[in-house]
Amino acid sequence: MSERTAAVLGLFDTPGALLEAIPAVKARQLGRLEAYTPYPVHGLDGALGLRKSPLGGMVLVMGILGAITAFGFEYWISAVDYPIVTGGKAPGSWEAFIPIMFEVTVLFATFTAGLGMLLLLNKLPFFGHPVLASDAIKAITRDRFALSIEAEDDGFDAAAARAALAAAGATGIEALPAPDRGPFLTSDYILRVAGGIFTACVVAGLLMYGAVKLFPVLPPMSHIEDQPRLDAQKADPFFKDGFGMRMPVPGTVARGYLPLGVSSQDEAAALVNPLPTTPAVLAEGKRLFHIRCELCHGPLANGTPTLTAAYGAKPANLQSEQIRNYPDGKIFWVITMGKNAMPSHAADLTVDQRWAIVHYVRALQRAQNATDADVKAAEAR
Amino acid sequence: MRSDAALVPRAIPERLLEPPLTDGPVTPGSLDDQVLAFPDRRPPKKWYLGLAVTLTALFTGFGFIGYTLFSGIGEWGNNSPVFWAFDIINFVFWVGIGHAGTLISAILFLFRKRWRNAIARFAEAMTIFAVMCAGLFPLIHVGRPWLAFWLFPYPNQRGIWTNFRSPLLWDVFAVSTYFSVSLMFWYLGLLPDLASMRDRTPSKLRRRIYTVLSLGWRGAASHWQHYEKAYLLLAGLATGLVLSVHSVVSFDFATSVVPGWHMTIFPPYFVAGAIFAGFAMVVIVLVVVRESMDLKNLITLRHLEVMNKVILGMSCLMGYSYMMEGFTAWYSMNPYLHHTFMNIITGTYGWAGWLTISCNIFIPQLLWFRKCRTSYFWMLLVAAGVTVGMWFERFVIIVISLHQDYLPSAWRIYKPTLVDFGVLLGSFGLFFTLVLIFARVLPVIATTEVKAILPGAQPPHGGHHE
Repeated sequence: MSERTAAVLGLFDTPGALLEAIPAVKARQLGRLEAYTPYPVHGLDGALGLRKSPLGGMVLVMGILGAITAFGFEYWISAVDYPIVTGGKAPGSWEAFIPIMFEVTVLFATFTAGLGMLLLLNKLPFFGHPVLASDAIKAITRDRFALSIEAEDDGFDAAAARAALAAAGATGIEALPAPDRGPFLTSDYILRVAGGIFTACVVAGLLMYGAVKLFPVLPPMSHIEDQPRLDAQKADPFFKDGFGMRMPVPGTVARGYLPLGVSSQDEAAALVNPLPTTPAVLAEGKRLFHIRCELCHGPLANGTPTLTAAYGAKPANLQSEQIRNYPDGKIFWVITMGKNAMPSHAADLTVDQRWAIVHYVRALQRAQNATDADVKAAEAR
Repeated sequence: MRSDAALVPRAIPERLLEPPLTDGPVTPGSLDDQVLAFPDRRPPKKWYLGLAVTLTALFTGFGFIGYTLFSGIGEWGNNSPVFWAFDIINFVFWVGIGHAGTLISAILFLFRKRWRNAIARFAEAMTIFAVMCAGLFPLIHVGRPWLAFWLFPYPNQRGIWTNFRSPLLWDVFAVSTYFSVSLMFWYLGLLPDLASMRDRTPSKLRRRIYTVLSLGWRGAASHWQHYEKAYLLLAGLATGLVLSVHSVVSFDFATSVVPGWHMTIFPPYFVAGAIFAGFAMVVIVLVVVRESMDLKNLITLRHLEVMNKVILGMSCLMGYSYMMEGFTAWYSMNPYLHHTFMNIITGTYGWAGWLTISCNIFIPQLLWFRKCRTSYFWMLLVAAGVTVGMWFERFVIIVISLHQDYLPSAWRIYKPTLVDFGVLLGSFGLFFTLVLIFARVLPVIATTEVKAILPGAQPPHGGHHE
């Protein structure tokens, strides 16, 4: 048989018997001694000569490291990289960092204690240990106490080990073969699991793709956009006439639109231009004339339009004798109400803007019909 | 004569001694057969019935959560100025429930209270499930949970960092640390028990699962040495943590300026309340487990009695805290604080205030009587009362303080909606579903820890570490 013996193991019924057996077996120096028990038995580490666990020191170091890490991170973020004053505190004031420092300290220390114990000190997970394949393991994790003599080199004397354990009063002695069987997780098994996960991912991905295709727009919490409400210019069944928008109550006066108090051009003749003839008013009138009037009446207001070809009607010549004799109010009325083909500009121009245009038209009329006295007055200035 | 008699040392009455670990003889083998056999048995009809109820609650609640996510948190009753309501109440409530588990597993471990070994595993499991329920609420409270990772400080292309002066961020760290540490603590405790399960289950599939979960644990003396050290360290760390977590939760309130929240008593008051509520929940669950799983000899009536004593002690501490709140309101001469306190006892929500005080202070006084401490009826009555009372305590703290603060023009009466109640139901469904599943698939009693302190478990001499 090429099978090598890794250890010889015997069972005891009580922890006391196990402890008593250790010194005699140890004295024979057959190999490394290890005990397997269902729960921690006091005094075993002393009897087996185990060294003190270094876990406490590891946890202390990592805990301090956690505190330093947390403080450094918080300080760097709050005071250096992203200094924002909150609660009137200086960006570097450290008192508020303490709770998170504490939590991170505990987190580092805990993971060091737990994972350090498992992975570093106990070298777990490990599924290939010979004890796990033994007949004794069922008793060990239940209520029996095992002592095992483990081979340290090729010169291990299994027969002597058996004899030593029997002499110490152990029962159920068995020799554990060195693990030559495949590991617990065979490559075939790993491959199958990986394949299963991959297939599941592909199926889930396809299903997700289908779902997204099926419901292209499923935005969660977009309901703020479809509240019950009336939209401007939209029909709505809420009112009997089906219009979403309502007409104002008869007699409603819009802000900034006081009624003129006149109802015809002749009556309007009585209106007086309320604006003074200042350069600012004339400049505003000129600007608005450019926008609203010039296209048809021409830059000199003489009825020579820019758009003659495209525009069949003949706009009025504002330099005509008739219009030059109009009172201001009549011109204002025409701008407000429109005349012949000319539309109303009441919606485009405020009352004051209209009066400003009137001033500017008067200035154009005077400029085109200037007298010598006007020229002299201008030169004198 | 009388003075002479007083000098004679008298035997301590049995009821004042630490309760015995078990009722009747228990050996390591019989313990395994009793506790670890559950996963290999078919669950009884009662279990399926219970699972049906809890799953119904779970799916109903998650339906409501789904509705909330789809439609927005406007479906809840929260509105200005009561921006925190059921979501935060439930969060604080569930985090508090979790604290009992850590107290039992860590603090009582450090105090070497042997009776805690029988109930520690279940209490730890309840901690983890309760923290899971608690974590749910901040997650849905943020409104867009798919962006909840924004809570963590990580480098991002938005170029902003989290605010380390905000107690809400402390909360993120405290609760996530608490969950990780509790899980680690629980898993380490489970490890040797999982190995026992691995070696006794007849089912091939279960053996494979328990093999992987037990990481190949083989009970080597050299492993036990590090294991015990790690367990002790974890207990010490968890003790500090359990005191810090609910303190940090209380900072969410105490560091604000809202009258009724801005008080220095909040951290210890919250921790006491958490342990109080947690113990009540543990009592409720343990009574059911003890009866339905026939663990009467391991979870003894004396254990429950000791738990009830803790509840009574915490109840008195809560009474003191409530009185201090009233005293602070009076002594501060702060009219806003005074108004808030009067609101608790005479305001619109005065019924909630009185319900809290009755359930948390008055009813638990029944536990002064030994008969009530050892009777299912009375202890369940008290425990259920405490659970309700502690939920309403958070309601009182949060809603009453918020609904009327400095600006009377902003006052408003808060009314929860059906969705609020549905989500609360869902959290209970989640908790009890997990409890039921846990009771079927994992060892409900820490058999290894109990074995280690059974009579004769340790060698008669040399019972100390070198």
